Amino acid sequence: MQIESLLQVFASGLLMGLLYALIAVGLSLIFGLMNVVNFAHGEFLMVAMYAVYSLWVVTLLDPVLLAPVATAFLFGVGAFAYMGVVRFAMRAKSNVSMVQIFATFGLAIFIQGVAQYFFTPDYRSITDTWLGGKTISIGGLFLPAPQLIGGLISIVLFIGLYLLMSRTDFGKALEATREDQGAVALVGINRNKVFALGWGLGAALVGAAGAVLAIFYYIYPQVGGPFALIAYVVVALGGFGSIFGALAAGIIVGLVEAFTAVLIPPSMKTIAVYSLYLAVVFIRPNGLFGRL
Amino acid sequence: MITRRQALIGGAATSVALQAPALLAQPREVVIGVIFPMSGPSAQIGRDARFALETALEIVNGQYDFDLPTARHAGLPGLGNAKVRLVFADHQGDPQKGRAEAERLITQERVCAIVGAYHSSVAATASVSCERYATPLVIGDSTSPNLTRRNLKFFFRTTAHDEMFSVAMFDFLDAQRAAGKQIKSIALFHEDTIFGTDSSNVQRQLAKARGYNVTADVKYRANTPSLTSEVQQLKNADPDVLLPSSYTTDAILLVRTMAELGYKPKNILAQAAGFADQAVFDAVGDKLGGMISRASFAIDMAAQRPTIGRVNDMFKARANRDLNDNTARQFMALIVLVDAINRAKSTEGAAIRDALAATDIPGAQTIMPWAGCKFDKDGQNATANPVLIQYVNKQWVTIFPAGSAVRGPIWPMNG
Amino acid sequence: MNETMTMAAASAAPTQRAAGARRAQLPILALVCAVTALLPLVMQDVYLQNVLILTLMYAALSQSWNILAGYCGQISLGHALYFGVGAYAASFLFAGYGITPWLGLLVGAVLSAGLALVLGYVCFGLKGHYFAIATMVIAEIGLLLVHNSELFGAALGIHWPLGADSWSSMQFARTKLPYIYLALALFVLTWLATYAIEGSRWGFWWRAIKDDPEAAESLGVEVFRSKMAAAAVSAFFTAAGGAFYAAYVAYVDPESVMSFRFSLLFALPAVLGGIGTLWGPAVGALILIPITELTRSYVGGSGSGLDLIIYGGLIMIVALVKPEGLLSLVRPGGAKA
Repeated sequence: MQIESLLQVFASGLLMGLLYALIAVGLSLIFGLMNVVNFAHGEFLMVAMYAVYSLWVVTLLDPVLLAPVATAFLFGVGAFAYMGVVRFAMRAKSNVSMVQIFATFGLAIFIQGVAQYFFTPDYRSITDTWLGGKTISIGGLFLPAPQLIGGLISIVLFIGLYLLMSRTDFGKALEATREDQGAVALVGINRNKVFALGWGLGAALVGAAGAVLAIFYYIYPQVGGPFALIAYVVVALGGFGSIFGALAAGIIVGLVEAFTAVLIPPSMKTIAVYSLYLAVVFIRPNGLFGRL
Repeated sequence: MITRRQALIGGAATSVALQAPALLAQPREVVIGVIFPMSGPSAQIGRDARFALETALEIVNGQYDFDLPTARHAGLPGLGNAKVRLVFADHQGDPQKGRAEAERLITQERVCAIVGAYHSSVAATASVSCERYATPLVIGDSTSPNLTRRNLKFFFRTTAHDEMFSVAMFDFLDAQRAAGKQIKSIALFHEDTIFGTDSSNVQRQLAKARGYNVTADVKYRANTPSLTSEVQQLKNADPDVLLPSSYTTDAILLVRTMAELGYKPKNILAQAAGFADQAVFDAVGDKLGGMISRASFAIDMAAQRPTIGRVNDMFKARANRDLNDNTARQFMALIVLVDAINRAKSTEGAAIRDALAATDIPGAQTIMPWAGCKFDKDGQNATANPVLIQYVNKQWVTIFPAGSAVRGPIWPMNG
Repeated sequence: MNETMTMAAASAAPTQRAAGARRAQLPILALVCAVTALLPLVMQDVYLQNVLILTLMYAALSQSWNILAGYCGQISLGHALYFGVGAYAASFLFAGYGITPWLGLLVGAVLSAGLALVLGYVCFGLKGHYFAIATMVIAEIGLLLVHNSELFGAALGIHWPLGADSWSSMQFARTKLPYIYLALALFVLTWLATYAIEGSRWGFWWRAIKDDPEAAESLGVEVFRSKMAAAAVSAFFTAAGGAFYAAYVAYVDPESVMSFRFSLLFALPAVLGGIGTLWGPAVGALILIPITELTRSYVGGSGSGLDLIIYGGLIMIVALVKPEGLLSLVRPGGAKA
């Protein structure tokens, strides 16, 4: 394969990787905060895509303008999922993590059912957008506009998230709650409030990813599944709870997937991603950058 | 559980009706089971199938001046104008569930025959149960060639299978080559499911036998998040013809990714599936001008056969879209089955089976380009000739074979 | 060595005290067996019999999962791999070579146990979610390999040849009775294995590992070997269940026996009923499987998604109302972890 093609594969993998990272970081955040693996994460992504889609159908505004609305909406969905479901599942006296998996799995199926009920199982697409179908070509290298903007949004949000966690009171409250749930109550931090905000933030991040994805992807009730599977691996590879880890792992997964697909039959490309995960955790049992 | 009790009472009522003295005889209704994926990743197929079958049901139970078997009588004249009732069941694309639902339909709902099933894997398991309960299974849209090679007595397939389709596609390529067009290399692009495997296996063999050079053979994972590297390989190979076997989701992603990576295929010749689904053309139709697909259904034939247009209108009123490759085949499967029940003058499985085996519907009495519907000893409709259709100016035009073609193909596809 | 002795001595007293309560479980099992065995005589509807078979099968599979996850604390999200190995071993040997599925079942079970030892050897160093994701990832690799393996029919899967009813081929055309008894036997065997382990030195060790691996290690529990044993037993029975399922459906393909969905379906009944308990998986399966089947059959045909709303909603409600599992309803503190 020529250098040009390899560069193209690299660029495509990098852009997809940035998106994987953005999808995964919300999962990582929620996990880091309260040790919960959210099995409805793919459904959050799907809800975000439907949110952009319905807003687009109603307002005919461009998805880029609608993305912040969808992101805000997902913040509400995440906070509600915590207050309405996860909060109760956390009362379990034993096997909390399994009970949470169970509860969020139920939530995932429930959301799929609701999506099918309201939107039918039809495959939806958003067409005629500012970015859709536009491609920037530099010396034989093709950079699709939606993915390029998606990658930029991803980087900006990661920087924002880093600043939020390290420079603000909210970030400090999250950090403190993560480290000692009992102690924070003593200093007047409302644990439920912090957790709800954390869930909202995690869902909002996947919401932003969904808004970008909606521009160039198809939408149907089961669309989240394959992305969720990758997100779990990205989070674990980067190290549960590590924001930077999610970013690095997302990019790595995107690149590995892209390059493997040209080396072996693409139907097996994720084997390389999975093998990489195994190789990493055997050497570093807490993932690349995990602290937990 | 209430539903279950109601079902039992319903079942009891039906069996009483069946056992009633021959003079009072005729069952007032004929119950037919339907298995499709109504939830899960393929739910969209099941939903559209429901619209197609309800359209067929309306025609069967009502009185329509259509050139279709049983259309001109309200109900089934062979059974004292009995009305047909459908019972829908959801198999979620799971072979075990498909089989269980077939058994439930047969034993609880007392259906006299079943129509389905979309997934070939489900058709395979459900057909075994139907065989064991001597209940005919009429398959309208599952195209794995092996399904009709298992010596089943109660299994009938109205549609052509993947081998027949692929042969038609290569016949077309041969014809183009004979007409002096340059077709040396082809690329196969197929998903890793039963459909993609069956389709590509036949295409690979045919390419070899007929002297086409396969310059790329890309097998990808269905519903993968990204197809960029896959498309890059197609772009590098730049074949004279690209032959995709993909469902709706991957078809949309494939076409968008090709455009993003600046790859314009010289020609696309698709194994229908996603490339027969309106959702793909709603999303990326502007990039598919001139593409060709094999098909079981050609809507432009409505000009010659008014019935097609009128059936399409009835379907459109329900589904808000035109009939396509899948829905037209599902529609015909039920019509063929009902015609057999009518001729059997019975709701006994064995009698319906014999009537199905004796089916001989001329092509003009279908909504398909078929020569007709006539089953061989394996239960395969050997006269289900496929056609090729080309997407020109947002319309499908039949271009092959010569007998059905409305006009010749635009080749290469971009003019 | 000394520490092990102390352990044994320490465990002896509670074991004796609990022995009476433990033995009381056996008559319950006998009663369950009797009721289940007689049920088909009253319940002749094949659809309901199918639900019964699936319920027993999932009770057995969830019990197998429970052995590793519930008793030994190693949460696996990759048991679909062992299920698939069992299903494929039986199918491959029967369809390809005419070898009776009984032998296929045994081959699959032994292969799976061996595989679990190999995978355990490399994975048991991982903790918590890293372990769970590793099991998931390994199962997915297995799925992709089978999916791309011509030898095992790739996506086309393996069809069991149609033949006359016989116990040797585990094929029965219309009657479901033999499958009910096979599924019941599978359940009873996994239950008895769990029962035996619970009362043995191994069971004590496993619980110690689950509660606090470091403390257990310092007390002389052979943590690693214990985990390995639990994984092997768990995989053995899961594969047996897979072989049974393959014989029952008479067809396997990668998606229908190895997808991630199955890994979750094995875990759910145990979590629902009470993880790490003798009856939790059975109670969970008894509720979960009929709900799954009945909502799909009687609501799913509409295609509106309502069946998913009901099914998902019920799972959430259970998790919210009784997060310790349903067994804790009948036995306060019964869901001992």
